[in-house]
Amino acid sequence: MSEPTLVPPSKVVLVSGGSKGLGLAFVNDLIDAGVKVAAFARTVTPELTALAEKYPDQVHVGSVDVTDEKGAQAFVKEVEAKLGPIDGLVNNAAVGQDSLHVHTSAEQIANIIHTNLTAPLVLTRFVLRRMMAKGLKGRIVNVTSICAQRGYPGLVAYSATKGGMDSATRSMARELGGRVLVNSVAPGFFASDMSAVLGQTQLDQIVRRTPTGHLTEPEEVVPVVRMLLLENTNINGQVLVIDGAASI
Amino acid sequence: MSELTRAQIRDLMGEVMKAQGKTLPSDDGADLREIGFRSLDFSELALRVEDEIGDELNFDAPGLRQIAKVGDVLDFIEQLQSA
Repeated sequence: MSEPTLVPPSKVVLVSGGSKGLGLAFVNDLIDAGVKVAAFARTVTPELTALAEKYPDQVHVGSVDVTDEKGAQAFVKEVEAKLGPIDGLVNNAAVGQDSLHVHTSAEQIANIIHTNLTAPLVLTRFVLRRMMAKGLKGRIVNVTSICAQRGYPGLVAYSATKGGMDSATRSMARELGGRVLVNSVAPGFFASDMSAVLGQTQLDQIVRRTPTGHLTEPEEVVPVVRMLLLENTNINGQVLVIDGAASI
Repeated sequence: MSELTRAQIRDLMGEVMKAQGKTLPSDDGADLREIGFRSLDFSELALRVEDEIGDELNFDAPGLRQIAKVGDVLDFIEQLQSA
């Protein structure tokens, strides 16, 4: 029987939605870990530009809307030319929602699904095709949400997309036969950004019900993503919930 | 169809409450929690208004959270219609 071959740590990682918040935190952390990082977002922030200027041989950034299929693919090729073949992908770009389903227009629902589900699947497909054509192994991390597993008002379409990505994670892990490790991280609500959708009353209730006594912070998600991209763990096809046990 | 007047919106709000065996007070300053008008009741009212005007009134939740009194409901629906 042949020895199983391990998936090596990612050397060149593409982060979608890497210009601020959690995405920017991933970029910073991966740079610190010595990884080459490419990041795109609809708008490149001064923070991301500064990183690209500070680490010209290690970082590549671009202004790309994840729903722009051709733009995203062109960026992937740019990254390959500048940093080398991509062997790590963090699907982080997403749009939020803050509206009851009956008051969310069909166009808004379509946009949420396109941005949060279709676009990352298409990007993943493209990156995987490039990876496999070069005979590379790799790692994919999908940033989903506790919303995929628990119900919250005002987040129906958003939750559906995150549940879709969690499901895709499992099927991709099977389909790729261990050649590419595919996992999701599902943070609970943050004290900022997305958690604005819930209102203070609901956030207070979540904190009261959380054994660790606090909402999730970006710096608590960052090491988990780093582990999935860089460590030898044999974790594959899993959804790692990071919410202080609020949801159990 | 044209926009509903504030009085017509108020009538529809009264119908929503009546269907639950409740009465809409005449005072615009009445507290929604005290009279038992909840967020889903607001949704029902908005959908009834949509039926009347033949158009959708889609909106995000943050504005909804600011609504506390009967007058706020009427203001919000009026603003949605004119948006």
